[in-house]
Amino acid sequence: MADDAERDVLIIGAGAAGGAMAWSLARRKVDVVCLEQGDWVDPALRPKNHLDWEVRARRYWSPSPNIRQWPSDYPVASEGEDPVSVFIYNAVGGSTIGYAGNFWRFTPSDFRVRSLDGAGVDWPIGYDDLAPFYTINEREMGVAGLAGDPWSPPREPLPLPPAPIGPHGKLMVDGCEKLGWDWWPTEQAITTIPYDGRPACDLKGYCPFGCPQGALATVDVTYWRKALRSARNGVDLRTNARVREITLHPDGRAKGALYYDTDGHVREVRAKVVVLAAGGLGTPRLLLHSTSQRHPDGLANSSGQVGKNLMVHVQTFVIGRFDDPVQDWRGTWGGAVSSRQFYETDPANDYLRGFVMSINPGWSPLNLALQVAPWGADHHQAMDNYLNHEAVLFCCGEDLPEERNRVELDWDNLDRFGMPGAKTWYAFDSNSKKLGKAMIGHGTELMGAAGASGIRDFGLSPALGWHLMGTARMGTDPAKSVIDADNRSHDVPNLFIADSSSLPTGGGVNPTSTIQAVALRCAERIWEMRSELG
Amino acid sequence: MAYDWRKEEYEVTRPGRTRIDYRLEIGRALVPIGVERGFAVLDPDRAELLRAWVSAIIPANGDRPAAGEVGAAEYIDAIVFLTPRLRGVLLDAIDMVERLAAERLARHFVGCSPPEHTTILEAFEANDPLDAFPMVRDLTYEAYYAHPRVLEILRRETGWHYEVAFSGSELEPFDEALLTRVRSVPPRYRNV
Ligand SMILES: Cc1cc2nc3c(=O)[nH]c(=O)nc-3n(C[C@H](O)[C@H](O)[C@H](O)COP(=O)(O)OP(=O)(O)OC[C@H]3O[C@@H](n4cnc5c(N)ncnc54)[C@H](O)[C@@H]3O)c2cc1C
Ligand code: SF4
Repeated sequence: MADDAERDVLIIGAGAAGGAMAWSLARRKVDVVCLEQGDWVDPALRPKNHLDWEVRARRYWSPSPNIRQWPSDYPVASEGEDPVSVFIYNAVGGSTIGYAGNFWRFTPSDFRVRSLDGAGVDWPIGYDDLAPFYTINEREMGVAGLAGDPWSPPREPLPLPPAPIGPHGKLMVDGCEKLGWDWWPTEQAITTIPYDGRPACDLKGYCPFGCPQGALATVDVTYWRKALRSARNGVDLRTNARVREITLHPDGRAKGALYYDTDGHVREVRAKVVVLAAGGLGTPRLLLHSTSQRHPDGLANSSGQVGKNLMVHVQTFVIGRFDDPVQDWRGTWGGAVSSRQFYETDPANDYLRGFVMSINPGWSPLNLALQVAPWGADHHQAMDNYLNHEAVLFCCGEDLPEERNRVELDWDNLDRFGMPGAKTWYAFDSNSKKLGKAMIGHGTELMGAAGASGIRDFGLSPALGWHLMGTARMGTDPAKSVIDADNRSHDVPNLFIADSSSLPTGGGVNPTSTIQAVALRCAERIWEMRSELG
Repeated sequence: MAYDWRKEEYEVTRPGRTRIDYRLEIGRALVPIGVERGFAVLDPDRAELLRAWVSAIIPANGDRPAAGEVGAAEYIDAIVFLTPRLRGVLLDAIDMVERLAAERLARHFVGCSPPEHTTILEAFEANDPLDAFPMVRDLTYEAYYAHPRVLEILRRETGWHYEVAFSGSELEPFDEALLTRVRSVPPRYRNV
């Protein structure tokens, strides 16, 4: 059952963080094995290779694992006042497989929420600690944008020029200029020119439905492409390998993991260091499932914080309808132009923290029809009214960590190996509700200033669940956090957690850039500690 | 998905739900659109009713065909062929619509006029504990808006270019001159 050799590092999960981590360690000639419950995504299956791509996105490409039901998926349930629509992908590349490439650095204040605003928690590291890793990540992922945004600290130029902003971007620029709000072309993980062996984006649009040519920086076409061909023959990536539990040596150190292979047989991998990168749901699920006499409440859980403090961001779409056609069938979906006018805490507000707004083209026909077109005689009129006449403002704000918002094991719904599914419980607190109200208000104001003749929004609940953070958070106090500043478990000295679950707070922007910077920093710390770690 | 629901109808999909949730059920049922096919599950009478039903959901208008003309009824039949648990929901719904037509208008549904179709379907929609109506509606929309003929007409009539998702497009590069004002503002981020 067990592989003969003990490996240097075992990484669990080949997603955004796992891919970055594997690449970083492998190029230092570390012997890495990675266990991923999913498989490679066959490029031919990317919906946008097909005319019926909108339907495919409601079937096997649905971001809801309950709908698409890949063999790699596990059931997810959603409870609480504001239930989370859980959106994840379980495959090589993780949830980046269906992401939009809206790619942000956090700002310095995002790491100091408790000190600055008296709420939430501080990170044990700061912006300056992560800045060099943001830079490496932007180079490896291939990020397009422009340095100089007054809402970010000074930074070196980005590797790729910004994407065209299109007619929808111009509308947002006009709106912001009219209101005197700051804006900036959004940083997007998209190759605006040929880059690093990948072709340029040619603006096919609707990026989350699978970029046909790999211009969108999903981790299967960025880090994994390189990690597999690194020195020492690259990372030993095992797909269709669902980890069941992390195993321990008698002295309490992590020994490795037990996993089900493609045939459903249990196997064991042993390693000197174990890194969990299974995502904001997958990581607490696995820790809570890795019980033993020594850890009856789950591994690395002496604080009782594993699975707690789930953050998902306060999110919505505010959609402007314009009398003139917007040509909304073209342009990237990583948010052409963004405004952080309301990003930082303002004492004049009745809420703390802030949000970002990013503009995208309008919806495609099927999605639009499902949203707004009534059945019957008025159907076509509604489609004529909206199709090619909308611009979509994605709004994302900070929600603060709360113990009651959580991930638990769901023993009522098992995966195909008999492991429990994951159940989320979530409710917005009053700060999030006020922030959300202000966000919709300002989004509406912006669309109005841009000239919209009609404005609608998606509301705040159910919560859009594509940013799942905080469920095994970093911190200095072992009673209140799961891992330390180096992403190392307070309880198990050779166990590291370096994915979205490790973020103590989530900022008010899409998190993948930060998740990967944290993973790259953790890889470097593991390298620096290699003699201690054996 | 986040983009494909009506706010007022959206329910977070729960695996433990006892009522059959068509949104979960159809997840594994992908059926090609725009191909000729017959009916595999529905008998001719029910097939005819369903065709009238989908054509009431999306009626013809100018060059735009009714949903029944582009194979929406056959598409729904093919979906329930792949999802046996939904067959009962569809069959019961069709029979209920027929019964409503008989009770209210003493006629077969297919023999009713378009306004009568609407009245009967509204009555059915208002009392539909199995979610059959949104199932038929959503599948009709799918069959319609992924059909090559419809997409081509939409391109002509609304300027929405479906082919760009395959062929790509071009846009002016970003014009940095637009940033003149914003570049001149002082740093806005909080120093910590
Ligand atoms: C539709 C959508 C749009 C998004 N858009 C954006 C965007 O524009 N910008 C942005 O910044 N972010 C976006 N995100 C979020 C982004 O994808 C995630 O934040 C990011 O991928 C999280 O990284 P991660 O490494 O923590 O987890 P993931 O990338 O999800 O990787 C976790 C991996 O672990 C594997 N795993 C889990 N459990 C096990 C187990 N027991 N055994 C083996 N393997 C396991 C999973 O299969 C998965 O591959 C989007 C997400 C979605 C779904
Ligand atoms: S817009 Fe560009 S990055 Fe997005 S899917 Fe199309 S080609 Fe890919």
